[in-house]
Amino acid sequence: MAFLELGERLRQRGQYAAAATVALAGLIHFPAAADAHDLIARIRADQGDDAAAAAAWHATLECDPDHVGARKGLAFIAFRARDFATAERNLDGAAMRAPHDPSILGALDRVRSVQRNVDVGDAVPLADPAGGVLLFDMQGMRLAGGIGDTADVSVADAVSAEGAGLSREAGRAARLLNLGALQHLVIETADARIAMIPVGTGAALLLHRSAVTPLGRLLALGLRAGQAAADWLERLA
Amino acid sequence: MSMDQWQAALRDVTGITGVIGALLVSVDDGLVIVETAMEDLATADVAALSAALVNRAIRCTNAMAGPAPQTLYLVGERGALLAVAGRAPLWLVAVARSDAELGRLRLSMRDFADELQ
Repeated sequence: MAFLELGERLRQRGQYAAAATVALAGLIHFPAAADAHDLIARIRADQGDDAAAAAAWHATLECDPDHVGARKGLAFIAFRARDFATAERNLDGAAMRAPHDPSILGALDRVRSVQRNVDVGDAVPLADPAGGVLLFDMQGMRLAGGIGDTADVSVADAVSAEGAGLSREAGRAARLLNLGALQHLVIETADARIAMIPVGTGAALLLHRSAVTPLGRLLALGLRAGQAAADWLERLA
Repeated sequence: MSMDQWQAALRDVTGITGVIGALLVSVDDGLVIVETAMEDLATADVAALSAALVNRAIRCTNAMAGPAPQTLYLVGERGALLAVAGRAPLWLVAVARSDAELGRLRLSMRDFADELQ
């Protein structure tokens, strides 16, 4: 796809209109090319049109959910709009796919340092299916949120069904081993850290973050999310 | 590692403040392979329950289309269970009181589990 190289060169020279013409012409022939959508997004971001850039990066992720550049781009736009929670979430998603990329880890540190003065409660996106916070009942039905960084609710429904079983098993193990009431369960995988927090007696919450998230921070966020979920459930009743 | 070396490694884990038992478990069948624990800890129960928990966690991460769990920490009001994956189907499991040094225990267990790979 030679048009990508040409478009990128034009973009770097600041010839945005010409770069966009080349990229859009290429997209006609390759509508599912993630890198072409990414190029358009970067051109729009350079032009200061953040809404168009975000739309193009979302299109990039539809073509390739693992596209790290698109997640970094969305984080950049969110950061520029001072939406630090969304910026962190997108960088977290990028870090899951490129855990050793120093530019992502540096950006995460920067966002987190800016976020210190922001109410952490704002970072509990219960209503956002792409927020990495999933609330489900003990029958395995999803109540709110989603898992990972996509808005695919079918994955969230499947995780809710399995999560309820996991929550019951964790409660049973805690009871039978005389460990007292379950406070939390943490799962670490190669690319993610997941905290499960009981919410009252009838629900539980899963917080899903990248493997670079410090464990203590994951738990602190999880406990706040659990409190927010309990309040949300109470308002629902 | 030989059984004796494992026994020594498990003794090191139980030497950490607050740890009341450590065992190597096969999560396929929930059986204890080797153990070091205080008398009042029912290690057979620990093995069976931790195997069930690990298998549930695997199903959960499968549903997320993610890789298999490497570590699990179950924390209750009065204590905690930590489990670290070794070479399948082996998991290193420890049970600790609530006053245990969980951070140190976690790192120590991960070191031993690496030797199991």
